[in-house]
Amino acid sequence: MISAATAGLRPGRAQYSGLVWTLIRTDFKTRYHGTVGGFVWALLKPLTMFVVLMAVFSYVFASERQYKLDLIIGLFLYEFFQESTKMGLLSLRAKGYLLNKARFPSWIVVITSASNAVITLVLFSVVLIAFLAMTGRVPSPVHVALYAVYLIHYVAIAAGFSLAASVLFMQYRDLNQVWEVISHAGFFVAPIIYPLQILPERVHAYLYLWPPTPIILFSRSVLVDGRTPSLVAHTLLTAETLVILALGALVYRLKAPRVAEHL
Amino acid sequence: MKPRVIEASGISKTFTIPSVRRDTVREHVLDFFRPHPSERLTVLDSVSFELRRGESLGLMGRNGGGKSTLLKIISGIYQPDRGSVTLNAAVTPILELGVGWNPDLDAIDNIELLGTVMGMTLRELRAATADILAFADLERFAKLELRHYSSGMAARLAYAVAFHAVRDVLILDEIFAVGDAGFKERCQARYRELHRSGHSMLLVSHEPRTIATFCDRALLLEGGRIVKAGPASDVADAYLALLTDPSSRDPEIEPRPQRAARR
Repeated sequence: MISAATAGLRPGRAQYSGLVWTLIRTDFKTRYHGTVGGFVWALLKPLTMFVVLMAVFSYVFASERQYKLDLIIGLFLYEFFQESTKMGLLSLRAKGYLLNKARFPSWIVVITSASNAVITLVLFSVVLIAFLAMTGRVPSPVHVALYAVYLIHYVAIAAGFSLAASVLFMQYRDLNQVWEVISHAGFFVAPIIYPLQILPERVHAYLYLWPPTPIILFSRSVLVDGRTPSLVAHTLLTAETLVILALGALVYRLKAPRVAEHL
Repeated sequence: MKPRVIEASGISKTFTIPSVRRDTVREHVLDFFRPHPSERLTVLDSVSFELRRGESLGLMGRNGGGKSTLLKIISGIYQPDRGSVTLNAAVTPILELGVGWNPDLDAIDNIELLGTVMGMTLRELRAATADILAFADLERFAKLELRHYSSGMAARLAYAVAFHAVRDVLILDEIFAVGDAGFKERCQARYRELHRSGHSMLLVSHEPRTIATFCDRALLLEGGRIVKAGPASDVADAYLALLTDPSSRDPEIEPRPQRAARR
């Protein structure tokens, strides 16, 4: 047991806010090599993907507008899930060189690892809503606000998963391979390329347990269909998010004190 | 007597030998029914000591004697299996500093990463960056990515950051073994300056002269136990005697692997 007898021995919030900012900034920098050019890349990625997907499904597969938008929303939201959970799982091992330098709250490293994915997600959302507005079907402010709430839930789900997965990955060195298989399989569990309705009603509840499913369906519902999911549906989503976050925090608390020993 | 800043009592630590450790999901699943031999190495066995304000304590011992593990436990990077550490002051460790940088970032970004992990604020760091680079004699390479640094340059940079991050107690592992004569001189001068201004020090070295010169008191760690404690020059002599005395190869004071069959 290690105890600090006097309060204020550990660096306070102000110090670690510097760490948060530095981690986000340097992650962005290493990813996009440089600052100004990098920001253009970060901006271009969701925009070009959107244009490419719209073009492919408008001209090559000539699908109807509804399916096209549903598909693009599903693909993008699932990509965020894959990217953020992968980065979160790898985060502590990738930043292992900091773990044996000093004692500091390592969850900061786990949570900030999602920053690049969050930036892409937010930019995509702006592009998407701008497109909807330009094509004359602008979602109501309430629906945009609800969509933002879903994204916050989504980030919290990714954070909860990452907290647990990052410390477990220090102990189980092939967990990334296992998760890669699961998240690829999960792409077909979530109703991204098929509508949920083609599956029998009794399995729907199980599909909703896979976190991207409710996020994708609710987001489509408010942005494309203009329908608000029920209060019960919202409550269940919040409950699911809180359970994942709590479990992640619990596993992290149990395992984090000894992660440096697995480096 | 001056107040205690570090109080360690009865610290024990064992490690599982990595060659028999199961550290993948695959091994846990496939070898579930196979007996699980576990070989553990006792690295620290009921180590107790204290450090008082303004005191400089040396730690000597042969390789594998448990010195670095003890420093990591005091710094809060490892958890002890038994025993406790009470800190009454903020501790800044300088451990394994030669390794562990983000190779894709330049010196300034790496200074910010390491400095914020060590508890400095960005404001403090930005004010100190020029001094840190000057101390390491690396001003010309401030914008150079760390991948292009030699190991000596990288280690100098790390020591420079840590020397600036010290708030109260400084913990040093083989400090004066880095860099050229000029850098060593600067490190020693900085060490004396910190010591004079009332900082407490915990210093590991293999070099009896270093311990005798820079420490008031010292401990000799052998086979995970403190075998001698006293004035620094006495302990340095005992360490030399231990190295030259053939009977010191006695298995009694070697690290003792304990075999146990466990499922």
